[in-house]
Amino acid sequence: MIQAIAFYLFATMVIASGVLTIMSRNPVHSVLWLILAFFNAAGLMVLLGAEFIAMLLVVVYVGAVAVLFLFVVMMLDVDMAELRAGFIKNFPLGIAIALVLLAELVLGIGALGAGPLELGTASGANAPNLANSNIENIGALLYSKYIFVFEAAGLILLVAMIGAIVLTHRDLKTTRGHQNITKQVRRNPKEATQMKQPTVGEGVEL
Amino acid sequence: MIDLGQYLPILLFLGVALAISCVFVFLPMGVSRLTGTHNPTAEKLSEYECGFPAFEEPRSQFDVRFYLVAILFIIFDLEAAFLFPWAVSLDFTGWSGWTTMMIFIGELAIGLIYAWKVGALEWE
Repeated sequence: MIQAIAFYLFATMVIASGVLTIMSRNPVHSVLWLILAFFNAAGLMVLLGAEFIAMLLVVVYVGAVAVLFLFVVMMLDVDMAELRAGFIKNFPLGIAIALVLLAELVLGIGALGAGPLELGTASGANAPNLANSNIENIGALLYSKYIFVFEAAGLILLVAMIGAIVLTHRDLKTTRGHQNITKQVRRNPKEATQMKQPTVGEGVEL
Repeated sequence: MIDLGQYLPILLFLGVALAISCVFVFLPMGVSRLTGTHNPTAEKLSEYECGFPAFEEPRSQFDVRFYLVAILFIIFDLEAAFLFPWAVSLDFTGWSGWTTMMIFIGELAIGLIYAWKVGALEWE
């Protein structure tokens, strides 16, 4: 009973905040609604028994991805009037994308008759039950059966990291001199200073 | 199998938080309407910044290097997220699972060394 109430609460909140994400005029508000949608999706995952996925949604999506979205929104300095000016020009493209999404929606609503709602069970029909908790199950599969997919994910992360550095890093050595610590430590008094005995009337040779 | 009853206190906590925040938001609005202090005028509703109308949008562009830091944070955040299931499931995966994670960490360590060498972690 409480599970069903919680499910409908979270599901309604996800849909409502999703709608507000695309409807709100201020992009920063959009990101905040998106964060609310992430939180409620995490609640849905808990109800499904996927606790680890729920925690990942909060840690990764709310903690990192949403912050990145906020950065992008702030960096782009979006001018809403300018965006609206392109409405007529991009209208055909927008209609095409809307049609694709409509087809997805129709397919999704067609899945309504797939079966009743099953809440609070950790396993679907095919899920292996190796261990007694969700996170152990994930680990047992991910690091044995799906090793190569996992390593490929690592490589993709590496490419993403290097790509981000290449795209955004600018060499700033021209603006200010950089400290070379090894060079500083290796200095000794004999090289750094010279004793001179200048005589009167003559210059000093350095 | 998961006993969702363990989450009941959290649900109750969410309910209480929602109720209290609703009280804090809507009670002053209701009170001000009932007592007649709610009397907006154009001057009261205009934006106001240190005695002047606001000069510009509050958002301003900032350095793209913040973005780079955020991306690096996401990547290492994901690495940490992968470590949790690995740590609890070593009984099942054994040495092959351990080696897998070491290779994964090695891949990301290459990225870290690259970032360090290029100077992406330095802030002038």
